[in-house]
Amino acid sequence: MNIGTRKILDRSFTAVGIGSIVVMAIALMIVVVPIITNGIGAVFFTGTVEHRKMLFSEFKRGDSENLSSEVASSNRYRAKVYGMLTGFEAELETMAPEKKAEYQAKYSEVRAALQALLGPLPGDPEPMLTRFKYGQTRWEKAEEKLHDLLYESKWDNSNPEVMAKEYFVSRAIGFQGTSLVKLFPYVKDNFEEILLPEFTFYWGFITDSSVDSHFFGGIWPEIQGTFFLAIGAMLFAFPLGVVAAVYFTEYARPGFLNSMLRSANSTLAGVPSIVFGMFGLAFFINTLKVSESKSVIAGALTLAIMILPTIIRAAEEAILAVPKTYREASLSLGSTKWNTIATVILPAALPGIITGGIISLGRAAGETAPIIFTAAVSVGSAIGLADVLTSPTPALSWNIYNLASEHEAAAQIRHVQYGMVLALVSIVLMLNLSAIVLRARISKKLKG
Amino acid sequence: MIKKISLFVVLLVVSLSVTASAAVGALVLDGSTTVGPIAKTFAAYFTKKYGVRVTVSESGSGNGAKSLINGSCTIATMSRAMKAAEIAAARQKGVNPVASVVALDGLAMVVHPANPVRSLTKAQISGIYRGTITNWREVGGPNARIVVLQRESNSGTEESFKELVIGKGVQITGSAETQSSNGSVKSRVNSTLPAIGFLGHGFVDGSVKVIAVNGVFPTVATVKNGSYPVSRPLYFYTNGQPAGLVKQFVDLPNSAEGKRMITELGFINR
Repeated sequence: MNIGTRKILDRSFTAVGIGSIVVMAIALMIVVVPIITNGIGAVFFTGTVEHRKMLFSEFKRGDSENLSSEVASSNRYRAKVYGMLTGFEAELETMAPEKKAEYQAKYSEVRAALQALLGPLPGDPEPMLTRFKYGQTRWEKAEEKLHDLLYESKWDNSNPEVMAKEYFVSRAIGFQGTSLVKLFPYVKDNFEEILLPEFTFYWGFITDSSVDSHFFGGIWPEIQGTFFLAIGAMLFAFPLGVVAAVYFTEYARPGFLNSMLRSANSTLAGVPSIVFGMFGLAFFINTLKVSESKSVIAGALTLAIMILPTIIRAAEEAILAVPKTYREASLSLGSTKWNTIATVILPAALPGIITGGIISLGRAAGETAPIIFTAAVSVGSAIGLADVLTSPTPALSWNIYNLASEHEAAAQIRHVQYGMVLALVSIVLMLNLSAIVLRARISKKLKG
Repeated sequence: MIKKISLFVVLLVVSLSVTASAAVGALVLDGSTTVGPIAKTFAAYFTKKYGVRVTVSESGSGNGAKSLINGSCTIATMSRAMKAAEIAAARQKGVNPVASVVALDGLAMVVHPANPVRSLTKAQISGIYRGTITNWREVGGPNARIVVLQRESNSGTEESFKELVIGKGVQITGSAETQSSNGSVKSRVNSTLPAIGFLGHGFVDGSVKVIAVNGVFPTVATVKNGSYPVSRPLYFYTNGQPAGLVKQFVDLPNSAEGKRMITELGFINR
């Protein structure tokens, strides 16, 4: 091959390499940017006076004097809205029956839209569900609800051959000639005075428990559950994994049994996580009965089995990477085999072992399938350390799935779901970063 | 370093086992995603009122039954009655399943709001799900292939639907898409113009359009008086006659507060 062709090949290979890195970076941006921007919206957002009311009565947080003056000023504007409602109700009574029935239907839609926006109206019974006790707590949601109040969505069926198209009709037109027609421009013009939007930093999203299945409040039980499960899994898997790796590298004699064990370990690493989930249910809960029903301990054991092969592999590699001269030096000084392993080989291999461990910790934190049947519940309060043996827990990975698909009002609480995703991604990222830092520090210490 | 770490591990294990104590009368609910909203709301109410921890999992009616049989839940929430085979399996394990009705639920047939079809007969729905009707044009709609949504085999809603609409033992068309929860049926219908699916009444909102079955819309009145043809009761199953805390929980639907919670969630009181 002449030099010219070689150069071209060389350059094109470099170009392909750079290209693939760029593609990967773009893919990462596409995934990460929406997670971060949407996730941050769960903590930083424009909150309305309803949010502050909710915080005060559900979590006893906020300045009561400030709040009552805000509520008073918002109520001054709301009172006019409510006045228009009572005025129209009186007007309804004077109408002819068929006209009254026609307006009644439209009026109940207006009332429903107002309830969604402002919370219960005067004369409504106090709702049992917390989600109906307050109006819109977030400004961007409130603007959507305002649109629902001002416009009615209709579907154009004029062409029976195709699906209908959506169009909006102003509700005000439907009330032309009645007193209620003034309500729509009034709410629109005084919208800020009614809801008092204000930039809000809701740190409670991280530390609060959820209220009324995630409609309000935060995700602390989920975060805590994730930590319990991941750390619990490490408590079992890490010591076992290191011991197994020491056996494989130092004690095992090559032979049939050894190669069986090794291939079993490799196979275990490739088993899909849902299989571990089913195994955990069948073995830990139904057979061993480590707990009566789902529990943190059953979930942690299942996760431990799942991450065990990775830890064994990482520890094995780390131990094998220790220079042979270390071992020889130690043995030549008259040290025993066990002593060599404990004082020379393991400390030298520690950075690698710990890196493997922490990366598996991140995996354990993010897995959903193994905990569906063994540990995760969709609603439950934060549990104490004393309850890990008996109680199941909510966990970020499972609750993200639950909110995305099973929750009855998934579309209304998307921000909570994004917040959970960001929290989970940050936890895994933090664990991986700490692995890097720890590794650097330990190897520095060993060198110095 | 090794010593430090192993000491830490030992300490943690010891502290875990020392602090571990029996939980005080916790209730464990498992089962239907349809009953999920009621179960979750009751759980929050119960915890607030009596200070008893209640956990809720939504893994499907079939799983609820299995959990009750295995003794891994105190109350199984189910959107269908237990089958004879499940009851037999329970008896064999010494579990005596006792049902109590929580609420009534009309299975709403839902389509995309853009779909002009307003009403279908039971026979038409059955035809759609058996695969004999494949285009909306055949039932008075636009020319579009029907995207049929069903639920997974574990779902009580699926079984109720089969029993009430297409008949037991009849195969649903192989081209039907399977969704794993009420919520995912709803979002699939909302994002797919020619889709049809079925939802528990409490899951219906403005993102989908409910169509009438045999000319009757599912409302509180029509479900209660039985004129809506696709309705069914929702159950709490317990092992043996409920007593103590379990009884208090199972009796919630009979209390005034329980009734109001059920109504606000969009379900229908018995």
